[in-house]
Amino acid sequence: MKTKPVIAAGLLGLTLLGLLAPPLMAQTPYPQTRVTLVTHSSPGGGTDVFLRDLTKHLGPLMKTGFSIENIRGGSGASAIAHVAAAPPNGSMLYGTTPTYIQTTLLSKPQVGYEGLDPIVIVFIDPEVLYTRTESPFKSLADVITHAKANPGKSRWGASNPASLERLAMERLARATGVRAAIVSHEGGADQMIGVLNGTYDIGIGEVQELRAQLDAGKIRLLATLSDTRLAGLPTLATAKEQGFNVVVKKFRGLAGPKGMPDEIAKAWEDAIRKALALPEYKAQYTKESLIPMPMGRAEARRFTTEFAKEVTVSLKEMGVIK
Amino acid sequence: MDHLLQTISNLASFWLILAAFAGVLWGILGGALPGISPSIAMALLLPFTVGMDPTSAIVLLASVYVGAEYGGSIPAILIRTPGTNSAAATVVDGYAMAQQGRAGEALGISLMSGLWGGLAGLLVLILATESLAKVALAFTPAAYFSLGILGLSVIAGLSGGSLLKGLMAALLGLMIACVGTDPMSGVPRFTFGSADLLGGVKPILIMVGLFAVTEMLVQIGEPAWVKVVKSEARLKLPNWAMSKRLFKPQAIGAVIGTIEGVTPGAGGTIAAFMAYSEAKRWSKHPEEFGKGSPEGIAAPESANNVVTATALVPLLSLGIPGSNSAAILLGGFLIHGLQPGPMLFVKAPEVIYGLYGGLFIANIAMLLIGMVILSPCIWLVNRPKPYLIAVILALVMSGVYAIHESLFELFLVIGVGVLGYFMRLLSVPVLPMVLGVVLGYMVESNYRRSLLISDGDPMIFLTDKVSLTLLILALALTAYSLWKEIRAAREKQLG
Repeated sequence: MKTKPVIAAGLLGLTLLGLLAPPLMAQTPYPQTRVTLVTHSSPGGGTDVFLRDLTKHLGPLMKTGFSIENIRGGSGASAIAHVAAAPPNGSMLYGTTPTYIQTTLLSKPQVGYEGLDPIVIVFIDPEVLYTRTESPFKSLADVITHAKANPGKSRWGASNPASLERLAMERLARATGVRAAIVSHEGGADQMIGVLNGTYDIGIGEVQELRAQLDAGKIRLLATLSDTRLAGLPTLATAKEQGFNVVVKKFRGLAGPKGMPDEIAKAWEDAIRKALALPEYKAQYTKESLIPMPMGRAEARRFTTEFAKEVTVSLKEMGVIK
Repeated sequence: MDHLLQTISNLASFWLILAAFAGVLWGILGGALPGISPSIAMALLLPFTVGMDPTSAIVLLASVYVGAEYGGSIPAILIRTPGTNSAAATVVDGYAMAQQGRAGEALGISLMSGLWGGLAGLLVLILATESLAKVALAFTPAAYFSLGILGLSVIAGLSGGSLLKGLMAALLGLMIACVGTDPMSGVPRFTFGSADLLGGVKPILIMVGLFAVTEMLVQIGEPAWVKVVKSEARLKLPNWAMSKRLFKPQAIGAVIGTIEGVTPGAGGTIAAFMAYSEAKRWSKHPEEFGKGSPEGIAAPESANNVVTATALVPLLSLGIPGSNSAAILLGGFLIHGLQPGPMLFVKAPEVIYGLYGGLFIANIAMLLIGMVILSPCIWLVNRPKPYLIAVILALVMSGVYAIHESLFELFLVIGVGVLGYFMRLLSVPVLPMVLGVVLGYMVESNYRRSLLISDGDPMIFLTDKVSLTLLILALALTAYSLWKEIRAAREKQLG
């Protein structure tokens, strides 16, 4: 029974917050008693798990019930279209990741990411570079030096084609001016095998998916592609520190139909900030190496536009889109 | 041996037994419904495992997988609709037997083959996980490409007469596999601007269209079925003579299922197809295949149930999920704070041995549940044809709709069904086409990956040892088929 302590801790956190909060902050209740969060990921998939964990903590804070709806198909296009058509009253939101921007850019569906209004950003899921323990590479510089000395002999793994991970590898190659074969896969598992058996010099992934090999000492982390070092892995240097200016921000957040009133957007921002401060939630997301990056609507809009611009440039450089 | 003893001592737990039975029952139901794949059936249960103890939770999920892989064969035999991808190879001889009024016998064979397959796989899992993990790690993109080629080399065995028509069908399948997102660059291709095609055409849609919808179209144009004699409408487990005959195809299924199971990404579908083709090649009665051969059911059904256990090898030993189902199981581990991988055997051995025990119970549960539910299933499909066709079409359509809630896929399935109808009229075999759809992506993406790695040098397929071995095997099997064909033709001339 793992849920009980979670609920207990949640309640405790809530009581504490109630004691600490000044009476002025007594907020109006959220206008909806039931909120549906839509994701294109299947049950158990990345965004699905993110939403389920988040709502566990948001429920008591926002005093509203949550349900998660998995609308698959069209690489996310169906889910986006579904949410865009919902009334803008805060009853339905979409769980965002870079995928929703990439699907829009690649396939130009009728309703793209611009059809939704970013409400909040919650986390950045940092990407790290890794190699196998037996490999001679001890740092990112070793990898780049090797690549420069042996043009055309370097092989770098990447997860899905045109994914953010792939773009990160392309940016690294471009930034350092090396010629490396960057090989896409179907997800991180295939790539991991390639790194473990020495087919690839390096691979890229999220800390959570590397955990098993990391604990077993089969892989070595070389760099994190985040702005700052990770709380859970304080010894791992960022690529920037090592002199390679490559940062990718795999964000997780929420977006809604256009025309949502300001007080609803504000209610979400407040609730997200409070949830991220809950010790129970904090312990969990720190363990998963997620970086809290709460942003309200104005900031989230700016961030999303900027992000889309960067991805567009990268995809054009790769020749994937015109 | 210690492992085995520990496993046996774990069998006593009541909750474990309950989890195994519940999982298998749910799995059989899910597997029997076209559209609900093993991984979806597992995913639907995932949220309910949160409050359970880790061992029972994992056993529940793994049992769903066992049940679903078996359940897929029930509609494959009874209504020519594979409930799961890996039951596609069972359709041919299973449905042929059902039409001869031997449905009960066919279901009995698939049940027993599933049982032996599941137990053989479990034995491999318990005894050889560590050494097999090395096999999984030895697979490079070049080796995967050659594995795909080996899979394609069985086309001849699936063509049923005309090799040319078989190749045509396979080519069509390979072309369909090209639709979707380009595996290397991510550029959408052959999608005609439709977001529905971005993810490619799922093999299950092709199978449901080619088998179920086509069959319904054919049935509509034919007279009512002969009444099934009552004694044959019962489940009939194979007798001793039959069991002896089935031993060879089951053994072939077990070997192929083991190899395909431990290589991440290969999986039960390819295993079932290869087992079918190899069983035919080594059979004393190859001429019966396609016309209701018991061996044609035994081989694929034991192969895909072996995979339910051996697919756990890369997950447990490396923490790498080799299939969608394994990925859901990984989710089940993670929910309970367990990280599958090399350390799991040290950190939580009780869960692993509990899982072994649970899988054993799950296979027994499969046998018992199968014996109870199969006779009513046979009764169900012996209803008057007009009702049955209406109900089956409704069932199939709602199953397809349930996958992605997509109307587009519904129309796609109907379109493929019509295509299948004309293929049937022209006696073009459909199995090679299914094989093409299943293997196309794997062959293409790994071919391109390999050439990226080798900087364009095709020698990589020969310098990689695993790849070379597989290619030689493919060549040998093709040459053997050819030689057999020529000899048969010559004997005909002489005789």
